[in-house]
Amino acid sequence: MNTGGYIFITVAWVTILILLIFSFVKILKK
Amino acid sequence: MEEQKGKKEQGRERWGSKIGIILAVSGSAIGLGNFLRFPVQAANNGGGVFMIPYFISLLLLGIPLMWMEWTLGRFGGVRGHGTAPGIFDVIAKKKWVKYLGVLGVFGPLVIFIYYTYIESWLLAYSFFAVAGKYSSCTNQESMKSFLAGFQGIAPNEHFQGMGIAYIFFVITFILNMIVVYKGISGGIEKFCNIAVPTLLLCGIILLIRTITLGAPDPAKPDWNFINGLGFLWNPRFEELKNAKIWLAAAGQIFFTLSVGIGVILTYSSYLTKKDDVTASGLSSASANEFAEVILGGTIVIPAAYAFLGPVGTAEVAQSGAFNLGFVTMPFISLKMQFGWFLAFIWFLLLFLAGITSSISLLQPAVSFLEDEFSLTRKKAVWLLGIVLFVLCQFPVFFLAQGVVDELDFWGGTFALVLFGTIETVMFSYVFGIDKAWEEMHEGAIIKIPGFYKFIMKYITPIFLFTILIFWFIQDGLPIILMKNVCKANYHYILFTRIGLIILFVSIAVLVKIAWKNKKRKVL
Repeated sequence: MNTGGYIFITVAWVTILILLIFSFVKILKK
Repeated sequence: MEEQKGKKEQGRERWGSKIGIILAVSGSAIGLGNFLRFPVQAANNGGGVFMIPYFISLLLLGIPLMWMEWTLGRFGGVRGHGTAPGIFDVIAKKKWVKYLGVLGVFGPLVIFIYYTYIESWLLAYSFFAVAGKYSSCTNQESMKSFLAGFQGIAPNEHFQGMGIAYIFFVITFILNMIVVYKGISGGIEKFCNIAVPTLLLCGIILLIRTITLGAPDPAKPDWNFINGLGFLWNPRFEELKNAKIWLAAAGQIFFTLSVGIGVILTYSSYLTKKDDVTASGLSSASANEFAEVILGGTIVIPAAYAFLGPVGTAEVAQSGAFNLGFVTMPFISLKMQFGWFLAFIWFLLLFLAGITSSISLLQPAVSFLEDEFSLTRKKAVWLLGIVLFVLCQFPVFFLAQGVVDELDFWGGTFALVLFGTIETVMFSYVFGIDKAWEEMHEGAIIKIPGFYKFIMKYITPIFLFTILIFWFIQDGLPIILMKNVCKANYHYILFTRIGLIILFVSIAVLVKIAWKNKKRKVL
């Protein structure tokens, strides 16, 4: 995998994990 | 949400818990497409750069549509309607508008008719994996032949007819009916509370196994997991200029989130007025993305690459998602230690992804009969079960004649894109964006950024219209005109279309009767 591949997979994973954690934490805190 | 344990309020059932509906909507969205269609689309459309139009579509199309459906569904449910005809009628107050909502009952039913049969193959294959039924298949060609024998298309040494396939179809059909029969919180919610975490666990087990694959053949050290990941994720920037990848990404987002079908409308209609829709919509979309990008984008293509190399993986990716799931994955499992167990986990994962989607496809029609005809759930499920069992025979027995593809086009593509477009117009223009925005924030846990008002009013509808037009020209028109239908299948396809028209008109007539009855009761 080249550098571009690493960048794309990292950005995609991090974005999704942030969205997932943010929304579930908000719901569970309520 | 208050713990209501399925108590009825105003004659309608309710979800038992907040997490219950999120898992049910996530289960509806997570389907075969997350694990099979997404990696093939990404690999064939620019690799890593596919994620640029993909995320843009998620933010401008997928998440707004999710919020719209959650909001419209809750709005309708509070007023006693769980499906699009009733919801649109409440919003528009014009007689004809409720008929636009027919698509929201028709689409899910059509998808259910063929989807259950495909789902039953997954249940069958999970048994075959454990029993070693396909272990004598030494190459992908023999694995294809195994599948064709199982489907009853070409009898061979493994199967003399489609008897086994039919038994698994009946089991799957009955399982679906039992879950829906038991109700929203007692059936669908309870089932999804177990099935969705289990399927995610299966995905994580397979993810770990794929990551630890290394290079299975020491003679070919380049055939390894990291290079497999590169096959899928290395960006090909020059392809970004191609409109095809933008259309593919928007289509993938649309199909993966289960928006535009009508199921989220129905599921959210069982919320109370004070229940949140903003954080819930976002969390179910995020859970779907986790399954698609993180699990789906890391399992099949890298695993195929480690065993088949770059040329073999390119061939597999070109041959389509279906081949990847039913031929390549069981084939490479035979080359692995404890492959039978991994194949079992793989097919169990897909089966659970399938059944959590198919039960959601049944619910709009059940709600329609309950809400608009005051039938009890049990009566509605029995009635629907008998009708659907008859209709399901067509894809089962005429698979080789292209009936499944035809149903998929009309129910799984055409109705979906059209209904999604109608929903956005209903939300932003008929309901009115200001009123809709206020309704959406009723009981909201998170406040949606103000610029989304602009996106929902202008960008999402324009985006959808563009997809609809491009898709119609590129794929829709040749299919509608039967350009690719071979002569032998012509009458089967024609008969399927006549059947679909009869189904659509029947639902429209039921809408007419239901409203006539209501008018009579009022008078």
